[in-house]
Amino acid sequence: MAHAAQVGLQDATSPIMEELITFHDHTLMIIFLICFLVLYALFLTLTTKLTNTNISDAQEMETVWTILPAIILVLIALPSLRILYMADEVNDPSLTIKSIGHQWYWTYEYTDYGGLIFNSYMLPPLFLEPGDLRLLDVDNRVVLPIEAPIRMMITSQDVLHSWAVPTLGLKTDAIPGRLNQTTFTATRPGVYYGQCSEICGANHSFMPIVLELIPLKIFEMGPVFTL
Amino acid sequence: MLATRVFSLVGKRAISTSVCVRAHESVVKSEDFSLPAYMDRRDHPLPEVAHVKHLSASQKALKEKEKASWSSLSMDEKVESLCFLLHKCGFGEKWLNVAEEGAADLCACKWLSSLPPVYRIKFKESFAEMNRGSNEWKTVVGGAMFFIGFTALVIMWQKHYVYGPLPQSFDKEWVAKQTKRMLDMKVNPIQGLASKWDYEKNEWKK
Repeated sequence: MAHAAQVGLQDATSPIMEELITFHDHTLMIIFLICFLVLYALFLTLTTKLTNTNISDAQEMETVWTILPAIILVLIALPSLRILYMADEVNDPSLTIKSIGHQWYWTYEYTDYGGLIFNSYMLPPLFLEPGDLRLLDVDNRVVLPIEAPIRMMITSQDVLHSWAVPTLGLKTDAIPGRLNQTTFTATRPGVYYGQCSEICGANHSFMPIVLELIPLKIFEMGPVFTL
Repeated sequence: MLATRVFSLVGKRAISTSVCVRAHESVVKSEDFSLPAYMDRRDHPLPEVAHVKHLSASQKALKEKEKASWSSLSMDEKVESLCFLLHKCGFGEKWLNVAEEGAADLCACKWLSSLPPVYRIKFKESFAEMNRGSNEWKTVVGGAMFFIGFTALVIMWQKHYVYGPLPQSFDKEWVAKQTKRMLDMKVNPIQGLASKWDYEKNEWKK
């Protein structure tokens, strides 16, 4: 989860997110360089004492500032596409969970090895204990094993929602009448938070997602299946 | 009071940019903007018309003297005669840089710093005069700070009269328990919160 006033990305909990953080560093550096260059040029323009009202052709400069941005864009696009395809790799998930968005809660279905279905509502403020995370904690978390590829099938029962967990690099729209799939592999155990990311009505800000990633041995013991 | 000061600054600028007032000093006449006009501009050093259109008697006499041989001019008249000055400084027909105070040092024409009447016939302001800074920035900064201060007052009023209380999760004890919980959960242990906590010594890392 983010701490208050956090601006940067959260630490990665999956290999894809690690790649995305590196890509973000790379692209942000390019953006900063371009912005700094433009601000410098603007500053020079605003503070010069030179006047020349007869400037016309600048063919060489025009060529450079066409070719160079194209090259920069390619340098951004190639890593981006690499990560895009990496995220879609076929990796034979160990577990499939269905996540169904409602107004204003999530339903999770574990139907691979049984029939566990439950709702996940945000804890109302009056139900919070001191130290709980307001607007983030839920009554029933999504318990999953680490180091196993997991497939999420995401849909909605009414309006558009979006199932997002930033630390895993996940955000997938929940669309009524459509099944969207996303996969992830978590590298470390812990509790990870996300929030609904598609406007869906009055309580759009109050239907968070909480994943509890535990070691596989403990998961196999079956705590999930005791409601 | 501030507004009238601001307005008068704007007003003065508006008048000084109007062509007819510049060309005729105190006589204001509406003039067609398609006619050649006089202007004091850094990037337009030689305006199409002279500043003073109608010469007085003494000015006319000076102009006549300038046409004759310059050796007949007295020293003072040489100073007054701009053509002589320009020729001496090697600029010939280039009026341009002579008008700036910096050029006085270039050709040792120190007397240029007090510009002679012949100059003032042709030009209203020297380069130094037209490029001078102003005190407008003080008005702008002062105005901006005033409105920022006023906004702060508005926000203080809102906080007191409009906003409800903060949620209980902002209480010091709650935040302390929450932070402890986040550290126990090892939230962002690589570069974020938990990475700044020393788990052996049970304190924040120095």
